Parts: sequence; structure tokens; C-alpha cells
Amino acid sequence: MNALRGWAVLLGAALLISMTACDSTDGDSASGAGKTLNVLVSANSIYPQQQKDWFTQVSSKFQQQTGAKVAFETFASPNDELTRIQTSVLAGQGPDVYSLGTTFTPTAYATKAFLELSADDWAKIGGRDKFLPATLGLSGPDAGHEVGVPFTSRPFVMAYNKEILAAAGIDKPADSWDGLLAEAKQLTKPGQYGLAVAYADGFDPWKFIWAMSVQAGNPLVAGGKAILTDPTTRMAYQTYLGWLATDKVVDPAAVGWKNAQAIAAFGAGKAAFLPMVSATSKVTLDKSTVAGKYAYALMPTIPPGATTVSANGKAASSILSGDNIVVAKYTKNKDLALELVKMLTSPEMQEIYYKTFGELPTNAQYAQTLQGDPALAAIVESSGKSVGTPFTGGWSQVQLALVNVVVQSIPNLSKGTVDDAALDKLLQTAQTTAQTALDKAK
Amino acid sequence: MLVPGGALMVLVIVVPLGTAVEIALLDLDQYTFRQWLSAPFIGLGNFATALDSGLLHAIWLSVAYAAVVTIATVPIGVTAAVATHNHFAGRGLVRSLFLVPYVLPAFVVGTIWRIILQPQGIANQLLGTGGTLWLNGPRSFWALVIVQTWASWPLIYLLTLAGLQGIDPDLHEAAALDGAGHWAKLRRIILPLLRGPVALAAVIAFLHTVNAFTLPFVLFGVPSPRDVEVLPVLTYVESFQNFRFGVSAAMAVASLILVLLPLIAYLRAVRLDRES
Repeated sequence: MNALRGWAVLLGAALLISMTACDSTDGDSASGAGKTLNVLVSANSIYPQQQKDWFTQVSSKFQQQTGAKVAFETFASPNDELTRIQTSVLAGQGPDVYSLGTTFTPTAYATKAFLELSADDWAKIGGRDKFLPATLGLSGPDAGHEVGVPFTSRPFVMAYNKEILAAAGIDKPADSWDGLLAEAKQLTKPGQYGLAVAYADGFDPWKFIWAMSVQAGNPLVAGGKAILTDPTTRMAYQTYLGWLATDKVVDPAAVGWKNAQAIAAFGAGKAAFLPMVSATSKVTLDKSTVAGKYAYALMPTIPPGATTVSANGKAASSILSGDNIVVAKYTKNKDLALELVKMLTSPEMQEIYYKTFGELPTNAQYAQTLQGDPALAAIVESSGKSVGTPFTGGWSQVQLALVNVVVQSIPNLSKGTVDDAALDKLLQTAQTTAQTALDKAK
Repeated sequence: MLVPGGALMVLVIVVPLGTAVEIALLDLDQYTFRQWLSAPFIGLGNFATALDSGLLHAIWLSVAYAAVVTIATVPIGVTAAVATHNHFAGRGLVRSLFLVPYVLPAFVVGTIWRIILQPQGIANQLLGTGGTLWLNGPRSFWALVIVQTWASWPLIYLLTLAGLQGIDPDLHEAAALDGAGHWAKLRRIILPLLRGPVALAAVIAFLHTVNAFTLPFVLFGVPSPRDVEVLPVLTYVESFQNFRFGVSAAMAVASLILVLLPLIAYLRAVRLDRES
């Protein structure tokens, strides 16, 4: 019934938009006097006021350059954005430019609703070379078919409590998952746990499983085939679930935690390590009791059960995380849109963005200047060692299937067991779901 | 005079409904929705996929959960209505308090109970069941029932209260003159007269619960634990996480049939009532 209602709304919106569509002016030139470019971006819940100021700043600067204004709209969640994309694509009218999460870019690409950037288009943005190569990993299925222009980078790292580690004589976190577990065991005592992990989060679990699998040489999807029942993935789940169930290095309450609760537990000084956070956690942690007592480090890049990176594995420190900018195919202001993308990815605007929101640049020239900052070292390093998740229109389903294994394992987890037979059954289901999704990929 | 109403009905009900049925027959997903009218026609293929994706399990869960919630809320709502029907000091305050769960948005109710039901939350502290898992596993079904019951009994209460106020005061007087005590009056006059309003309230409560999306979504998130993967949540996941719009529309059509059944039964009952 809800989906039904959703479609009714969609239809209504489509009608409404097509009715107002007659008002827009045609034209394809970059001289934008009197024009307005519509841009849809994710609402920044950490810095709402700064984001509003940034909108004004961008619009006035763009007006100086081209005569056109920029009208920003925000969406609260990826689902909001998808609904917006649906209505706009159906109506052929809506925002000219969208910012998308990197892992959502393959799904957006699959809709064929966004501009594939030609060599000429890239030239108008300022050239493909101006970006850090790693950040282009989720721009398209291959270099010839790219839709996403890298805008910001939010790599994942691990926070650790310097005081807790120093008290135990550990100078820095281990670079292997086995080593991290050993340290976590050493640091677990009454009232304090080695790791803070959000098992009930809707996204975190798949990122762990993906990282451990990729490090062991399994990309999860290759050549249109899902590889979720592989021993590497099985071991990833056993390791991840084992932390709480059998190794007891995570607070048992974590079976109900989302990411924010894991950050809160670490912020209260109750955990030594907080893996799978981005630099945005800094805002919360700097207001917590561990302010000044924590640092960021790379998450381990050596897979579970190994002491070195496996021969065909990748030392991925994080998924390629951040935002891409895409231009809608239906836009009547393509050149203006590309002009805006060029401006937003210029060293000057990337610096403003970084200084306002703490998100890392994708512009190579500006990124260079940040490399010397020791406080950022781990995050910048992780940005360079990020690996893109598989570029397939079915990735959202694969991702959901990976998380589902953890969700359905939680009752066992809570009992303190990792049931291998149950895990295998769940993996088989995930494999079937993922393969069905990949089979439909076009 | 029928024209404006008829046109509105076509626009608001028939067109979206027709669209939903059409989508349910198309292979509509992220690859085809840009030109959705030319998406391949696959007949009942989406319904077959929906059956494979846990549709029957979801229907069973939704019906079971809605039935249990309805059965639980009726006595609570009726008791509350009867208890606050007659004047007493502070009745206004009590009546207002009764409405609190109902006026709170489902999102807020879900968020509050999500905190209460955490492994180390207030619920486990009060019950002395530290660490018990409520938001996943077999208990999650009962957690959903309890929270939904808490949130929706005031609906029954409100409709019963309306029914009580519709009872002719002369009847109370006549019963008193005949020497009927409080209990006899309640059992032989008030409750039989409340049958209609309470039945209506029960049907509405059932439909409301079968369609409940926000509460299970906020309480458990997606992907849902298997024990609380109710139909509206499954439909949502298909549309907005898996982008299988055709399958999702097929599920929506199935849920439409599901809510039509009690509705038709109720309408028939009402008509029979009138004829007799």
C-alpha cells in the first residue's frame, strides 16, 4: 500500500513538473545571465548553517563568473534522492546537477539518466588529470564511460584511544586484523572493551566484510558473478561476528548499536579502538571525554588469518568513499553545469570546502598541500589506499545481501556463538540474491 | 453533481491504482525506469519473484501481528472508554493523557521504544532481564506487537467513546428505574450497543496495523530481522533498496487484496445489519 501511495505521489509530481516545464528557457551556452542552475546535494546534518553559507558563497561566485545563479536543494537520505531522481528522470525536468554518494553512483549510472563525460566534457571541467587518480575509481564502469566527477573524499579510518594503548605499552595499532584482535583482547577488561563496532548499523557491516574479502583477494563481484560463499568471505564474517560472540572484545550491547552509538561508546572512553569511521567523527569526539586523547590510524590491510597481504589481494584501507557530481542528461544548461563542476573542483573551492566541512579534496593540486599535516596523515593516506567497490548497477542489492547476513546472525551473536551451519545457509541466500541482481545488470 | 466527485475519484484513486497494477506486470527496475512505459511486459513474473522473495512469510507476519494487536487493543480501548465515560474529577486530564500515544508520530514512538528496548535499555533493567535481545530474534515479533499495541489502543478508545456518547441517555435512566446495577447495565445494555462501533474500530485498527510501515521500519531498520519482515517493509525494501519496482508493485497489489478482504467482510456485515 505504501509503495502504491509512493507511485501515486510520483505520478502527481510528474504531472506537476511537466506542467511547469514550459516555463524553462532553452539554450546551451555558458553565458548564463538571468539563468539559474539547480543543484541537489545531501543535507549536511553536522554543519547545517555553514552549508547554507556555502550555498550563498557558491552562487555569488558563480554569478560573478557566468552571470547565472545556483539554486541549491538538499535531500536527507539516499532514498529521498532516489525518489527525486525518479521524478526528475520521468519528467525530463529537475535538478541540472546532483551530488551522489560514491557507492550509489553505479546505480545512478544504470538509469542512463546522467551525462557520460566525453573527452571534450572532461576538458571543460579542467581535465581528468586534475583529480587524484584513486578518487576516479567509481566514476564509471571504465575510463570511456564516466558519469561521476569526484568532488569530496571521506575515507574510512580507525580511531584509537592513545591513553589506553600507551597504558598497555602498545605504541600503534596493528596492521593486520589478527594483530588488532590480539591487541583488543589485551585491552579488554571490566568496563572497557577492545573494539567499538556497530553491528545493527545498516551500512557498517558490509564495509568490514568487503574490506577483509578484498584484502584476501576476493572482490565479491567479478565478471558479473557474485562470490559470496568463498572461504575468504566466510572467514571475514567469522572474524567480524567472532569479535563480539566468541572473542568477547566488543560490548555485548553492540548487537543493538548503530554507528553513532559506537562513536559514543568510544567517546566515553569505554573502547580502545573504533574502526570504520570517517573524519566527520572528529566533531563528536572532540566534544567527548576522549578529546585530545585519541588519534586516527589506518584500519588493518592484512586479511584475517594472514600475516602479509595475500598475493592477489589488495591492501585496501577503505572503500572509495565520498561524493561524485553528475550532470543530468536532460539539462538544458549543460555547459553551465560543466562550468559549475569545474569551479567546485578547483583548488580554491576545494580548499574552502575542506576548511568548512572537514571533507578531503579530490583535486590533486590542493590535496598535495594537505599531505604534510600530521593530524590528517592517516586520513589522507587512507584516501590514497581506498579501493572502489564493484561498479555494477546491482551493487545496492549485493550490499544489502551482505548486511542481511549480519542482521540475521544477531540472535546467535547475542547467545555468544557463531553458528557455522547457519552462517553458510545465510551466505548461500546472499549469494543467490546477489547473483539474481547481477544477472539483471545491463 | 456526480461529475466533480467522479473525476476526482478517477484522478486520485483509479489512475494510481491502474498504474500500480500496470507496473506490477512490467519488468521495471533501475535499468528500465527511465522509459518505464516501454519496460518489458512479463505478466505475472513479478508475482512469482515476489513469492520467492518472502511474500507469503511477510503476509503471514503482517496478518498475525495485526490480528494480535487488534485482539489486544480492543479490551484496553473499551475499558478505558467505559471508565472515562462518566464524570469524575480530573476526567479531562485522564482523557488527554490517554491520547498521548496516539498523537505522537510513529517515528517518535519508534525512536523512543528503540532506545527503551536496547539490550541494556530501560525495559531490560525494569524486568531484570539484562542483555535480552528484543530488537532481533524471536522476541522482536512480540516487541513489535507490544509497541504497536501501546501506540494504537487509543484509536479503539476514541471510537468506543464516540459510540458511548451515541447511546440514548433515556436507556440509562430506564435501566436504572428497572433496578439494573452497574454491572448488569454494562453487560446487557452498553456493551451490546457498542458492538457496531467497536467492530468498526477493530476493522480500522486491523487495517491500520497491516499497513504500518513507519513503526517497524524505525524500530528494526532494514534489512529487517526475519521475524519482523512485515509486508510494508518488504515492499519498501524492494522499491528503495533493491530498485525492483515491478516486484514491489506486485507486493503492493498483494497487500491491497489483503486489506480488501476484511474491508469487504465489514461492509457486508454492515449491510446485513441494515437489512435485518
